[in-house]
Amino acid sequence: MIKQLSITDKRKWLKPSILAGLVVIIALLPVIQGSPYILHILILTFIYIIAAVSLRTITISGQFPLAHGAFMGIGAYIAGMASKWLGWPPWLTMPLGGLVAMGIGMLIGYPFARLRALYYAMGSLFFGIGVTYIIYAGGIWTGGYAGLIGIQSMFGSSKVAYYYFFLGLTVVCLLALYRFEFSRIGINLKAIAQSHLVASSVGINEGWYRILVVGVGCFFAGLAGAGYAHYNTVLSPASFGFMATLWLVMYVLLGGIESFAGPIIGTTILVLLPEFARDLKVYSPYLSAFLLLIVVFLMPQGLVSLPKMVMLWYSERKKGKKVAHVSGN
Amino acid sequence: MFLETKGLTKQFGGLTAVNQFDMNVNKGEIVGLIGPNGAGKTTFFNLITGVLRPTKGKVMFDGQDITGKKPHQVAELGIGRTFQLNPLFANFTVLQNVSASFYLHPRSSLLDIYFNTKTYRRNEAYILEQSLEILKLAGLDKVKDELAKNLPHGYQKMLGIARALAVKPKLLLLDEPIAGMNPDEIKFTMAGIRKTQKQGTTIVVVEHNMRIMDLCDRVVVINFGHKIAEGLPKEVTENKEVIQAYLGSEHAA
Repeated sequence: MIKQLSITDKRKWLKPSILAGLVVIIALLPVIQGSPYILHILILTFIYIIAAVSLRTITISGQFPLAHGAFMGIGAYIAGMASKWLGWPPWLTMPLGGLVAMGIGMLIGYPFARLRALYYAMGSLFFGIGVTYIIYAGGIWTGGYAGLIGIQSMFGSSKVAYYYFFLGLTVVCLLALYRFEFSRIGINLKAIAQSHLVASSVGINEGWYRILVVGVGCFFAGLAGAGYAHYNTVLSPASFGFMATLWLVMYVLLGGIESFAGPIIGTTILVLLPEFARDLKVYSPYLSAFLLLIVVFLMPQGLVSLPKMVMLWYSERKKGKKVAHVSGN
Repeated sequence: MFLETKGLTKQFGGLTAVNQFDMNVNKGEIVGLIGPNGAGKTTFFNLITGVLRPTKGKVMFDGQDITGKKPHQVAELGIGRTFQLNPLFANFTVLQNVSASFYLHPRSSLLDIYFNTKTYRRNEAYILEQSLEILKLAGLDKVKDELAKNLPHGYQKMLGIARALAVKPKLLLLDEPIAGMNPDEIKFTMAGIRKTQKQGTTIVVVEHNMRIMDLCDRVVVINFGHKIAEGLPKEVTENKEVIQAYLGSEHAA
């Protein structure tokens, strides 16, 4: 009995200690390996983690939007344009980008809140594609096909400063979204996802909650996009087209849509993996798609469920051996 | 008059599911709404609770016109309900099902929830306590940590009622509460419904199972969307038209 207790105690400490170790490594990384290229890739990873986690937050309400890349684009272009044409500083344009994305998301969410499941996905898909064309049509204001150039950079060419800024931003955003999901707000959203009939029969305003979660998700997507604008200082409409949305969906599905950590892991793997196998980079869409297929078939709950599956397999094998041993006697 | 419908009508294309239906429910009574399959009973509930919008007619509740209000607004006014097919929060535990249903009383503001204020924590503690009490009343306290989808049918039905009680309803609409239950469960459920009424809740119950008659102060019989009889349970069971609706015209003679 006491022995068992100690085992569970160890397990309890395992997760926080791994997390703490990871945080230390991530925080010290620029000191250990200061190559600007690696820092650049990691900064992009941070930005996409914010976007992917905010996409998953919307899905807990049972909606699956297919326009998240476009909302990143709205945030990026609003921040970029405010910076270029109005000369606003980044600490003002970034929240602005998020808020505009949130406002547009909620406005679009209002008529879409009546649509469910597949129809919602389709409606948002067309909206997302439309955004790209609006950017194309923006002429000199958005830079059109040529892209928007001349956005103020935040820290000049110092990748280390950017690294720490985006690390901090990511931590703050993740904490904010974590609290959102694991409070009664998240419970209400999950209730709506499971049965909107029951949820509204106990007084939950289904429509308002759907719009709220879309607003919150789009705010963080817009914020991530705005951060990207000030980091990259150049924007191209193609970065926020349907492919961008699709990549975000891939990050979420690969990592695991049912877990908060899922999109974090999915994004990290899918952004970093092509960098470690540079020769294969041309094939990265195919390889990613292949990886996604394998994950969807073998572990529908995503890569997050891998440790649990391995542990289950291991304990089952152990049990099997024991049984074989007993029967052998 | 606590609940009153006047000329309530619902048409689905060419089909009239509920036709010029007038019904009165007094405060504190249990009214049975019975009728054969497809008579329009569930549609009637859906019209009251705002899931469906009536084609014609009016719904009055507690002196207020609630025609065309949305489901969550109807719940706010104090009408709780269960569903015939009994959808639940399938992936929540039994306890979570009830505590998630405590949305209105007490209700925390979004900011209170998000910033985990004292008000929110006090509300949540109160909700937990109340949920456990309701589960005890419903006989579900032993399975409170099971997932709702893993419960046997009778327990799921009880959970449906327990969930509706979390709204603290003044009027409770029960859609086939004892359908598919075994005799023991029926006895237990009927006692629970009686207890709820004694605590001051008005109840309308839709049922196929005639045993529900023992519980009702008054019974209304509906067939093809029309009201065909109304009265004390005893009167209604002897009514010619009712027997005809249930057993066919040969038996009515």
